[in-house]
Amino acid sequence: MHTDTTRQAPPATSAVPPVQTGHTPRTSPALEPAVDAIFDDVFLSIGQAVGLRASFDYEAVLWVRNHFRPKFLNAMRHFGDRWLEDRSRVTAVCAMFGERAVRYANGADVIDVEAVRQAGADVERYCQLHAARSNGSRGRINSDAATGMIAGYWCIWEPAP
Amino acid sequence: MSVDQIDVMLNDCLLAAGQGIGTEKPVDFDAVVWWRDRYRGFFMRALGRGNSYEADRRRVTAVGRYLGQRALHHAANAASVDLNAARLASHDVETGCQMNAEREGVASAAQPA
Repeated sequence: MHTDTTRQAPPATSAVPPVQTGHTPRTSPALEPAVDAIFDDVFLSIGQAVGLRASFDYEAVLWVRNHFRPKFLNAMRHFGDRWLEDRSRVTAVCAMFGERAVRYANGADVIDVEAVRQAGADVERYCQLHAARSNGSRGRINSDAATGMIAGYWCIWEPAP
Repeated sequence: MSVDQIDVMLNDCLLAAGQGIGTEKPVDFDAVVWWRDRYRGFFMRALGRGNSYEADRRRVTAVGRYLGQRALHHAANAASVDLNAARLASHDVETGCQMNAEREGVASAAQPA
């Protein structure tokens, strides 16, 4: 899937607080509106990947939200709100998620909760492998350069102390 | 209707919009945020008038897919679906939505759909 690397922060008049590009972790209440806007972006990207091949059960949408929203929120607590920097990489994983969901739906018109569970498991495995590989190649995970490679949104990967 | 339920509806509808756009072009984040801000208010008002998302979901997500298709159309030769394309697509969709609502007698001409 194509991803945009030139996006801008939302306008100041937006009801959703502008997504910060700084790395300062914020408290959970401050992150809640931001994570909801991010989740709209995530769902839109998943939809792009699936296209018109299948529709989604409402329960499947709920499962994706309930399963991954806390993980995204946790990643943002750890690393701050870096969405504008991380967006292209995370939405690329959305494309993978969508493709896997279509595959697990096995030709059905509707992607059900079981298909998204399996797709979610694949994405989490990918996230963990990618994060561990990034850690190994970068050394200190707490450096700014290293956090740029953390694929922690989907799996709450906890770097070793 | 809780705030969380409204957010699930928005997730569901933006998923549908993404389906309508497909992989031909990326979507600017400010376009996503604009859609979110706009339809959050609309959905809250609709539900406040007694509409049921469960009953209306099929129709609402169909409109979401159409919204995405119109946005892709308005993006024309641009590299991405930007805020302007999103706004134009919303205008198309809301005009049609308003006409349907008037036909069905659920909205007056002066009332947003």
